[in-house]
Amino acid sequence: MTLATIAGVGMTKFGKQADRTIEEIGREALLRAMKDAGVARDGIDEAFCGSSYGGPLIGQRILRDLGMTGIPITNVENACSSGAAALREACWAVKAGRADAIAVLGVEKLTRLGGGTLPLEPTDIEVNLGNVMPAVYAMRARRYMHETGATPRHLAMIAVKSHEYGARNPNAQFQNRITVDDVMRSRMVADPLTLYMCCPTGDGAAAVIVTSEKRARELGAKPVRVEASVLQSGLYKTGFRDMASSELTERTSRLAYEAAGIGPQDVSLAEVHDAFASAELIYYEALGFCGKGEGAAMIERGESGPGGRQPVNPSGGLACRGHPVGATGVAQIVEAIWQLRGEAGERQVPDAKVALTHCTGGGISGLDHGACAVHVLTS
Amino acid sequence: MSSAPRPVLSFVNFNRLRSSGATIILIAKSQVAVNDDTEYFPASRPWTEEADSVRLHGSKCALCGSVAFPPHPSCPACGAESGQDAVQLSPVGTLYTFSEIHIAPKGFATPYVVGYVDLPEGVRLFGQIEGRAGDLRLEQPVAVTLGPVRSDTSGRMVVSYKFRGLP
Repeated sequence: MTLATIAGVGMTKFGKQADRTIEEIGREALLRAMKDAGVARDGIDEAFCGSSYGGPLIGQRILRDLGMTGIPITNVENACSSGAAALREACWAVKAGRADAIAVLGVEKLTRLGGGTLPLEPTDIEVNLGNVMPAVYAMRARRYMHETGATPRHLAMIAVKSHEYGARNPNAQFQNRITVDDVMRSRMVADPLTLYMCCPTGDGAAAVIVTSEKRARELGAKPVRVEASVLQSGLYKTGFRDMASSELTERTSRLAYEAAGIGPQDVSLAEVHDAFASAELIYYEALGFCGKGEGAAMIERGESGPGGRQPVNPSGGLACRGHPVGATGVAQIVEAIWQLRGEAGERQVPDAKVALTHCTGGGISGLDHGACAVHVLTS
Repeated sequence: MSSAPRPVLSFVNFNRLRSSGATIILIAKSQVAVNDDTEYFPASRPWTEEADSVRLHGSKCALCGSVAFPPHPSCPACGAESGQDAVQLSPVGTLYTFSEIHIAPKGFATPYVVGYVDLPEGVRLFGQIEGRAGDLRLEQPVAVTLGPVRSDTSGRMVVSYKFRGLP
């Protein structure tokens, strides 16, 4: 079921931008998206802004200097899926007929937090006892390896593949190629995850203009249709939970496939939430790109890399494009649309017709993740 | 030749001494000094120290029987708003997974090991595990214990439940 179209996209380069304000970063992405869509500022009916650490009224702070206030502006916080959750609100608002053109922005400036792991909520019981995001993923990785026979070298292969794609993306934070040995020799963060298996922190913004089909035609843009926009939250469990798989991603993607009337075999390319290399392996399985326990074989055979049968994260993913938390979900959409329009340059997936984006959010006790958003886009 | 028994200060005795107002510097296997400034997490101290073990306090739903830790006022499994009975949890569980952390927020001394421990009551607990990752394996039995987990912003030591590997 077509919800809406996306008439224009834009993003900043991701990376450390300590000398710019978060407002400047956000404005750059928004102006690029509006220019791409050919829409003037008075053609925007509403705005949604996703950010996790951007502070109060982040959307208003960005739109203010563009003279775009007065319209409804809604700020959305959903950890790493803040931007993806903001997009969902816009798609459904257009579907409901409430607006014809909505600016969706994802923006984050993590350099202002200093370095290290992301600050987590101090009331959380696990955070008090020393849990950090890399460890959340590392513990799942260890269990996954235990159950499937995957090894740290498979995790390193994911990082190598991400860098191969990142090297082809001028907006990526990391554009260098690396080897399996480089990854294995990089310093330990939370074992078995070494530094190069972890996404970096950085700054950046991405924006898209969501419109009705009618408005897209009027704008004369090359519209891409949103066929599914699904958001779910993790189930709270005090008891046992299979950490070698992702129930949340399985559930969310199943709903998205059903809504779009497609299956995993129809996906030309996917942008998935590879905050850590091990997660990408688990998500190959959860998204149905391979069978249970076959993630390691999939990366070994190069199926998710350039020229493979199921390209995953052609942007370089969170690992290399970068992960300014709230911006990521929108940046995934920007990449998907460049791919579907055939504008992705050196990293273009041939004959891309259907793109899937997958964005999870949050380390929170007792839940798989706080949130998971899956979008399906078609050209 | 047998060595003389070494004096052991259990946390039970430690707490008695502590409540007597004494300042105690305890150099245990964790090599961290414990004194009057010690803080506890959770502050409610949901545990009982027995002679040879530590038992955590959970809650069990009278309606659906599911067990939760820490004790919940309502049942997260079935939604029952009352009837959450206090239960003591088993002092030994099984290590489901773990990781040794090398980069951590302020207050945590790296490296340290964290993991998930499954108790027979059907509860999975997150906590720190004594020792290094190389000494541990999945499915290993681990015992609940108490010990320092971090220091707070003013430098005071925070003691909580944690785990130690059993043979």
